[in-house]
Amino acid sequence: MTWLVWRQHRVQFYLGAALLAALAVLLVITGVQMASQYHSALVACAANHSCANLSSTLFLGSHAVGFLVIMTLGAPILVGLFWGAPLVAAEAEAGTTQFAWMQSVTRKRWLAVKIGWMLLAAAIWGGVISALVTWWSGPNNAEQLNAFQPGRFDLMGTVPVAYSLFALALGIAAGTLLRRVLPAMAVTLAGFIAVRVAVTLWLRPHYLSAVTVFYKVTSGFTPPGPYWRLTSGIVGPNGLAIDQNTNANVVGGIPASYLPASCTAQSRGAFTPPASCTQALAHFRGFLTYQPAARYWTFQGIETGIFLVLAAALIGVTALALLRHDA
Amino acid sequence: MIPMHEVPGSALPGPAAINTSALSKRYGKVTALSTCTISIPEGRISALIGPNGAGKTTLLRLLAGLARPTAGQVTVNGTTPRQDPAFLADIGYLAQEIPLYRRLSAEDHIHAGAHLNPRWDAESVRERLTGLKIPLGRAVGKLSGGQRAQVALALILAKRPRLLLLDEPVAALDPLARRNFLRVLADGVAVGGLTVVLSSHLVADLERVCDHLIMLASSRVQLCGDIEELLAEHQILTGPRKDTTAIERSHRVVQVTRTPRQTTLLVRLNGPVIDPAFEASDVSLEELVLGYMGQDAAPAMAHLTTIGEEK
Repeated sequence: MTWLVWRQHRVQFYLGAALLAALAVLLVITGVQMASQYHSALVACAANHSCANLSSTLFLGSHAVGFLVIMTLGAPILVGLFWGAPLVAAEAEAGTTQFAWMQSVTRKRWLAVKIGWMLLAAAIWGGVISALVTWWSGPNNAEQLNAFQPGRFDLMGTVPVAYSLFALALGIAAGTLLRRVLPAMAVTLAGFIAVRVAVTLWLRPHYLSAVTVFYKVTSGFTPPGPYWRLTSGIVGPNGLAIDQNTNANVVGGIPASYLPASCTAQSRGAFTPPASCTQALAHFRGFLTYQPAARYWTFQGIETGIFLVLAAALIGVTALALLRHDA
Repeated sequence: MIPMHEVPGSALPGPAAINTSALSKRYGKVTALSTCTISIPEGRISALIGPNGAGKTTLLRLLAGLARPTAGQVTVNGTTPRQDPAFLADIGYLAQEIPLYRRLSAEDHIHAGAHLNPRWDAESVRERLTGLKIPLGRAVGKLSGGQRAQVALALILAKRPRLLLLDEPVAALDPLARRNFLRVLADGVAVGGLTVVLSSHLVADLERVCDHLIMLASSRVQLCGDIEELLAEHQILTGPRKDTTAIERSHRVVQVTRTPRQTTLLVRLNGPVIDPAFEASDVSLEELVLGYMGQDAAPAMAHLTTIGEEK
């Protein structure tokens, strides 16, 4: 069976390997440049004690490569569309299942070997891309503290592997149930996007209950490491969050209308608030609801687990559909 | 000592390669095969004949284990068709569509077969295809329809199955290739250990190699048995008389064709014909097949003859 799987799908495997190689060359070259750029910027800022401002002044890499890296968000779906959807559907369309299933190989083994190699290929695809992107993003993550943000979280660590396996399983299941390649591709695309968006928006923020910190507006607060901000705002003296969506003059995030005139009078130029203003500001508290950096790998693990379970369920559906029904 | 007349001309039936009993298959509300009970002895070449949509493909797929019966039993090579390498190794099934991987060459298929089967005679495929001047290295999608059929047939023979199920295998072949292939089948059966079920519309071809017949029409078995015996059991009666009730009482009338001057009957005999007004003649396989196929169309034909009589 393995020989046949390789012979049937080697073009797909070669194409996938070529794409991975091209991405690897590009990211390794630009990644090495970025790392040395970051290293020299750190040395330079340490010399004149300006490292606190580094994140606002330093831009690493190029927009084009950065865009390409963001585009790897779509890499798992390629596996679903071009490896998963046609795996069974193309054979059903061409009738070649009737060739394979009339050799001395059970359908169960046929499916297991085909899916097994495809799963391995998809895991390598997701794993290599994730490893490249994670390594490439190292300096930016250190500088911008943004590894936990949606759109970054999804590109790195273990989740891209799980997304790839899920996309593959979704494609295979859709192809097996629909028995047509194009409809299966459409279902795979729509299903993958729907599940990814739903998990990102509605499930991921709740894997662990978020931390909420209240702080003095005058001192401010920044969690250590690449935290993920869920909500933030300012609570007024009455304990209610104040509406910051205003075009009015704002002082320290607080609309001027909430504050005594002494705060706004000197708000331009070097700001040394007078006592009356400081007193008024003391009644306001900022709050930040976030997932702290230390949970990054827990979240990666939970999300990886969710997509692996979904992939396993879809493969179960595929096996049932294929083994229970007529050829 | 058994008196000679009690032993039929043909050999005593050996063990059956195929047995079905009340086999039925429905797809949703459509009945593809209904209460099919047949038996095919080992070592026979059985012709599966019937009009389009009669259920021939469904029957072959049930025998191969590609489809599951809705009701009834199937026994093939002594077991129920199942997903088991040993069962599959003994069956060669070739679907009407000639399923092959279009981008793979014949040589690739030979390799695949070698990896997927316990018995595999790769040399026989290469020999046969080289003899037919079919390029082994070209993608089969680029071969002609007839060449593709030859590749598929050679592959199915390389598996050395005990039972070959062929769904219109010769439809794509030219007359010479058809004759050669049927001879290969006949030789395989003569050597022993092979049973063939072969569906086709080409009665002349079937007549040449087949010694057993299964006739399906409207999802039901109309006839099943040794061709010689079936031919001996049927006769064509021609006579002037329009009243056929006497014959219908003692024999099964399969088909009636009336013209103003004479009536022709295809009957399944139930003893000798004693009506002197009718002249009896032997029936050919083609007449037998067309007679049973024509049963469905009988009302329409009767209508046409009525119009003819009024002229």
